[in-house]
Amino acid sequence: MTRFLLRRLLLAVPTLLGVSAVVFATVALVPGDPVTAFLGPGAPAEARQALAERIGLDRPLPVRYLDWLGHALTGDLGTSTSTQRPVAALLLPALGQTLTLTAAAFALVLLGGVLLGTLGALRPHGWTRRLSGAAATLAVSAPQYSVALLLTAVLAVHWRLLPAGGTHDAFGPGGTGDLLRHLVLPATAAALVPLGLTAKVHRAALSGVLASDLADGLRARGLGRAAVLRHCAHNASPALLTIGGLQLAYLLEGVVFVETLYAWPGLGRLLYDALTARDLPLVQGGVLLVATAFVGVNLLVDAAHAAIDPRVRS
Amino acid sequence: MVTIRHPRTALAATAALLPVLLALAAPLLAPADPDTGHLADRLLDPGAPGHPLGTDGQGRDLLSRLLWAARPSLTAGLLPVAVAALAGALIGITAALTGRATEQALLRTLDVLYAFPGVLLAIAVATLLTPGLGATVLALSVVLTPAVARVAFTETRRIRTAEYLEAATVSGATRTTLILRQVLPVVAPVVLVYASSLVGLAVVYAAGLSFLGLGVPPPTPEWGAMLDELRPALFTHPWLAALPALVILAVSVAFNALGETLRGRLGEGTEATR
Repeated sequence: MTRFLLRRLLLAVPTLLGVSAVVFATVALVPGDPVTAFLGPGAPAEARQALAERIGLDRPLPVRYLDWLGHALTGDLGTSTSTQRPVAALLLPALGQTLTLTAAAFALVLLGGVLLGTLGALRPHGWTRRLSGAAATLAVSAPQYSVALLLTAVLAVHWRLLPAGGTHDAFGPGGTGDLLRHLVLPATAAALVPLGLTAKVHRAALSGVLASDLADGLRARGLGRAAVLRHCAHNASPALLTIGGLQLAYLLEGVVFVETLYAWPGLGRLLYDALTARDLPLVQGGVLLVATAFVGVNLLVDAAHAAIDPRVRS
Repeated sequence: MVTIRHPRTALAATAALLPVLLALAAPLLAPADPDTGHLADRLLDPGAPGHPLGTDGQGRDLLSRLLWAARPSLTAGLLPVAVAALAGALIGITAALTGRATEQALLRTLDVLYAFPGVLLAIAVATLLTPGLGATVLALSVVLTPAVARVAFTETRRIRTAEYLEAATVSGATRTTLILRQVLPVVAPVVLVYASSLVGLAVVYAAGLSFLGLGVPPPTPEWGAMLDELRPALFTHPWLAALPALVILAVSVAFNALGETLRGRLGEGTEATR
């Protein structure tokens, strides 16, 4: 087990190095010059030169990359050019907000996906299977921004049940209850697509196990429906784990629209703002953080997979 | 008598073809000029005289705009998938049939591309280029290609050691003939079916980019841009703001349903599935 994990951990290193190199190169080679973006097109040559030297743009690319990587490893991601604040200080609170939203959405994904998938797997030819399939297709097709607008129109504007944006009421009591009320709409909008995918995968995996010799054997030994389902669900869990991990990674990186629409001060929104402002250090740091989180989630999934299923370890 | 052998596929194909036909027939069907409106008629609710689906904040006829918008919106959904299918098939087949070093290099590159946040990658490419249809198509092509390449690679590697490939090689087939006559007929259907299931996603992403202001510049109608334009009306005329949202949802459902039935039928053809 330890050997397996160590091997996976080592394999993640070249991927992360590649990611960091691509992030750095893409951002460094893009048209549009940060000096002009910051000083404006009419700035005198001396001022341009001074700024280029101060942010290190006069040195060769590989040197700048190694320098940036070395600092990044110690947690120093440079200074944001649009806000003049350290990149790490901007990213950390945003990461916290995105993790809160992601955790809420992921809870919905797992709960809804497993329920919908199980419903579809129980009877191979029943109407429940068709209902589950149609619901999953609808969920998978639902664009975050469309769902967000429709939910807001009905639940926040028409019925005034829930707040239409932000993380807390400005003049309310605050606290966890208030945060949860603000989480309902954005988490639902973010959860639908991954929920549909999870339901589809779980339905396929569970149907397969329920039709296998294992299930027949359990039934032959006289186990009840619930007990058979419990055993089969355990055997179908590796597929659920794999798709769940992918969806968690997707949520971490894919909540840009929801964060923008609901004024949720998370990573997606911060990075979108950074891109439009051509704040290159912030973009580099943010994308590196998101990609690292993605690789980290995949590692966790592999570890959990190995813990559940001994066949993976060999 | 004509019988439809696969009613579900036929239904899904019709549903997916409908928006394409409506887009092509936009000049015939649109009751008004999509780009000009009368401010006196602004924000009329659906059902107003002369404006069956109402008007937007500048008094422009929404039915006309939705119809014309189908052109850029569907182009931005279909073209990147076509590009990704071609490029992905090329990369995937090459990776699977060349030496170990090339294979590893290509696979590791795909791993790195996979680790990039898809939505952000599309936004990044679109921001760096001049906003417009070309930028959207390029951005989505870049985002979709790695996944197609992965599928083409897996499928090619599955048949790499097949006996009929050996037989072709022994009988003197050149590499090009081998790929065109033996590999492509097996891999292409799998890639095409997988690509068809990406169209819904591409339509959603493309409208999303426009929604963020990174797509076709105004006043050209586009579904995502219309959603953004009508967003302020959400609090006073929720139905108007809901219209483009519903259109994008419906088109995405139609293409996803088509992709799914096609995938199901491909499964029937190649292996015993229940």
